[in-house]
Amino acid sequence: MTESGFTVDVDQNQYLPAGGRDVSAIVTVTSAADAGVSGTGPGGTRDGSAEIIIIDCSGSMEYPHTKIAEARAATAAAVDVVRDGVRFAVIAGTNQAWPVFPADGSMALADASSRAAARQAVAGLRASGGTAIGQWLGLARQIFEAYPAKLRHAILLTDGQNQHESPEQLAAAIRECEGVFSCDCRGVGTDWEVSELRTISTALLGTVDIVPDPSGLAADFAAMMENAMGKQVADVALRVWTPQHATIKFVKQVAPTVDDLTGRRTQSGPQSGDYPTGAWGPGESRDYHVGVEVTSAGVGQEMLAAKVTLVADSPAGAKVLGQGLVRAVWTDDEALSTKINPRIAHYTGQAELAAVIQDGLEARKQGDEETATAKLGRAVALAHQSGNEDTAKLLAKVVDVIDVETGTVRLKKQVEDADEMALDTRSTKTVRAKK
Amino acid sequence: MTADLAALEGTCPSCGEPVSTGDSFCESCGTELSPPVASTVPPGYTAECPVCSVDPAVPSGAISAEGYCESCGRKVPSGRDHCELDLGLLAGVTDRGLRHSRNEDAMALATTGTPAGPVAIAVVCDGVSTSPRPDDASLAAAQVATRTLLTSARRGDDPAEASCTAVRSAHQALSRLSSPGQAPSATYVSAVIGSDAVTVCWLGDSRAYWLAAGSGAARLTTDDSMAEEMIAQGTLAEADAMASPQAHVITRWLGADLPEPRPHVVRFVPPGPGVVLVCSDGLWNYQPEAAGLAGLALPAALTDPLGTATSLVKFALDAGGIDNVTVVLAPFPLAPFRPPLVSPASLPPGGPAT
Repeated sequence: MTESGFTVDVDQNQYLPAGGRDVSAIVTVTSAADAGVSGTGPGGTRDGSAEIIIIDCSGSMEYPHTKIAEARAATAAAVDVVRDGVRFAVIAGTNQAWPVFPADGSMALADASSRAAARQAVAGLRASGGTAIGQWLGLARQIFEAYPAKLRHAILLTDGQNQHESPEQLAAAIRECEGVFSCDCRGVGTDWEVSELRTISTALLGTVDIVPDPSGLAADFAAMMENAMGKQVADVALRVWTPQHATIKFVKQVAPTVDDLTGRRTQSGPQSGDYPTGAWGPGESRDYHVGVEVTSAGVGQEMLAAKVTLVADSPAGAKVLGQGLVRAVWTDDEALSTKINPRIAHYTGQAELAAVIQDGLEARKQGDEETATAKLGRAVALAHQSGNEDTAKLLAKVVDVIDVETGTVRLKKQVEDADEMALDTRSTKTVRAKK
Repeated sequence: MTADLAALEGTCPSCGEPVSTGDSFCESCGTELSPPVASTVPPGYTAECPVCSVDPAVPSGAISAEGYCESCGRKVPSGRDHCELDLGLLAGVTDRGLRHSRNEDAMALATTGTPAGPVAIAVVCDGVSTSPRPDDASLAAAQVATRTLLTSARRGDDPAEASCTAVRSAHQALSRLSSPGQAPSATYVSAVIGSDAVTVCWLGDSRAYWLAAGSGAARLTTDDSMAEEMIAQGTLAEADAMASPQAHVITRWLGADLPEPRPHVVRFVPPGPGVVLVCSDGLWNYQPEAAGLAGLALPAALTDPLGTATSLVKFALDAGGIDNVTVVLAPFPLAPFRPPLVSPASLPPGGPAT
């Protein structure tokens, strides 16, 4: 481990054949397990962190009645794990949004009495009205922006689709929240739209999942909040330098989930761009797949195809946490240039797995059974080959597997909505490639 | 002119006082008069991007700490890509070759005068590409070993013992370069050429040859390689063993991942005049036979070691240049030792600079 508490490792086959232009590497970023990283303020307070819980209080949360009851219990459970000294708030959303605690739209400093007051306020929540998630995000942003906290995180719970505002309004609200706070999204029941919540969680560098049974909410909320409390370094980005005349083809997170960051680039220098990775806690490790197209050089020549620097925002400008080099060496030794890097192959397969599941489910929804069968069949084979057992189990609830090796499947006639949505939301979960 | 004055060949490059042939150090200021030389980055060398520096449209970019052009990303020549060393008694050339992105070979040379006559020292190391920092490993090993051999030769130590001591000092140098899980490694071959014998010491597959006219040429080393082991065990004939994919897998080397180096030492007494060749596999890949190498090098190498080393390197490059190539040649018997002094004629007017 370096002084910063982070390491950046590059795994690649640097050898290209004569005329070769495509360079690809797996960049592994790991934070130290011992919390040597900054984040806790003087005197043990954690005024660097802020949390907002956003609960759907639309009318449908009353059907069944247990939904709103479990949402209240889950929010209380999450409030219970907010650590002393953290700023926090709870807001409710329908076709508009309003602060539940503190009722004046400020943020409370967590301690035993503020947590008790929050629980009491949440207990009074009733469900009625519509769903306009953009409004909810907008209020959360306003509240967050009134405080200087570096680590801002929200939990968003909904049970329905975004019906009371246009997709454009939601997209605009999401854009305004990018870089302001991160957001984990949870859908309860089966009436919400996976792609809608995935758009929010991806843009806001959070997770998305289904909680099919409302009784599972409390444990899930507490776990999400625990995870958020562990974050210590905010606004970490991958700064990717590339040589002149080179093109970045993609920058993807590939473990623990597939998350395409390519479009999230912000230019940080004449030849470099930053890709956000969000906040980091101790002992975290994530893999990124970086693809660059360079101009080809002669056999025997070497080029730096990319320099990947891990940077964190700091008052003194970007602080370098670690660095890795992606190289290109041209050779006419075919044994070298044709060697496939096993980790790149693995993650290419995992990214394809996520894509074919989403495509297959979409085709199934459109009634295109042939495409759905082919795509989900391919998914079964990929999940099997890569040892992604969790995804294989989810797939088996949607298709009957005839031959796992070839990916021969038959669509099930009867599929529980919850199973289909679970497969969709968890399609991006990957299995870690061994080094 | 007295005999004493006849021995005055020049002046100390440091203090300007007269010094005599055979002195290792200036008697006035203690400056080492014939220090060892190595294929390091030449002093004053400025790295320049090979692409951007010749393109007027591109502003000359900075060079990163890792040696890449910060504009086009091209690996910038380190200054070690091609190096020629000439100490008179012996000379060497090392080159990156045509297929490798850097020169991981290194050489170091030294000469000295002793009461028993002149001594020439050559060490060639080939960094193990699969180890970290192989270029640093080879240079550190060659430099440290040559320094040890030179000190021993000036003391008049037994060359065989000195050779083993030099390997140990090189091994320690590599230990200092290493960190947990990171063991920079290199092959090693040294030749200590005295007035009557050549002492060769090695680990790995860099080689020494005796080049002489007629049937006198001989290889002085036996590779520590899978190929050589297969030949020794009688598993494979030489041609088949050399063609096998494991031919170049070495079985001994110098590196901190190995506890105690166990070098081979051979003392060779040349039967007559000839040339000692010390080289890396970048040369012998293309001509492993002693007689063949003698045919390429002789008779020019007897009188022009530097020019012949250059042409042997060119031979390897023309044959494909698939690896880094290093060639050191020392004509035997050695010429009288003359340290490279500053001759009075070459001094600037008004005396030496201080």
